[in-house]
Amino acid sequence: MSKHSALNTFGRSGNPAFTKNFGGSAYDLPLNQRMTLDGAVNKTGILLGLCFTGAFVGWNMPTLTMPAWIIGIILGFVTIFRSPAKSGSTAPLYALSQGIFLGGITLFFEAQFPGIAIQAIGLTFGILASLLFCYKSGLIKPTENFRLMIFSATMGIALLYFISIMIGLFGGGIPLIHSNGLFGIGFSLFVVSIAALNLVLDFDFIEEGAEKGMPKYMEWYGAFALMVTLIWLYLEILRLLAKMRSR
Amino acid sequence: MNTIIFGALAVISLFIFLNLGKVKASRKQLNRNNRINRFGNQESSNIIEGESTEIKNQDKQ
Repeated sequence: MSKHSALNTFGRSGNPAFTKNFGGSAYDLPLNQRMTLDGAVNKTGILLGLCFTGAFVGWNMPTLTMPAWIIGIILGFVTIFRSPAKSGSTAPLYALSQGIFLGGITLFFEAQFPGIAIQAIGLTFGILASLLFCYKSGLIKPTENFRLMIFSATMGIALLYFISIMIGLFGGGIPLIHSNGLFGIGFSLFVVSIAALNLVLDFDFIEEGAEKGMPKYMEWYGAFALMVTLIWLYLEILRLLAKMRSR
Repeated sequence: MNTIIFGALAVISLFIFLNLGKVKASRKQLNRNNRINRFGNQESSNIIEGESTEIKNQDKQ
């Protein structure tokens, strides 16, 4: 056996104490700097509070609806494509601006169909709680295939909406999907289902992040992801109810 | 009536979310082989890489 065999062995050791690459794993973080379930849920509560505050403003000042929507979209993209580490500052602003947008939109729908807002809010939170129960109890088990399916469907819907907006700018529109006929309602039901199943992926993201001890800022990122899905779900439920009530 | 029913649904659901969300998921959910692995394997390994050689008493002397 060579005299240097021990050094060679310890030099290639997986033990962080023997290597210079110490600090690569999330498990190296102190306990108080790791993501927790409590932290993510509390931060979601804060974002929901900000969203409701914004909705109160938007309800009383509907002229702010479109500017708030544009600002919210920009903040959303900044949070997703910049760095999750900054989500502690961008996510609250996103929730506030999207809240203003939702307040204005809700006022518009409420004027046409009285009582629709509380129905949409109740159904959104009802779906949130029931899917959380299904996830926590293991009734719904997200897998890679599940994620791929939901991601593909979400991207397909996003593309369809983008094309619809583009055609709308030139005075046209995609037939049937915005109508209050059976096809239009069926399409809305499908979109609501996909939005709801995105919640399961968000729960799993938060659960896995907390389990693997990811950095604290991921609590904000997880809460932000949940807010994006909840806002989308609320809007789709609002559209679905409006279609059903306009028949 | 509409407001009471859906308002109560919203409040109760929010309460459930804020409490149930803090509870760890069931073993049935967590102990699966087909879970989504977003963050890779973060746990540090205790395995020391390298070749092992048997040391005999003769070698020590």
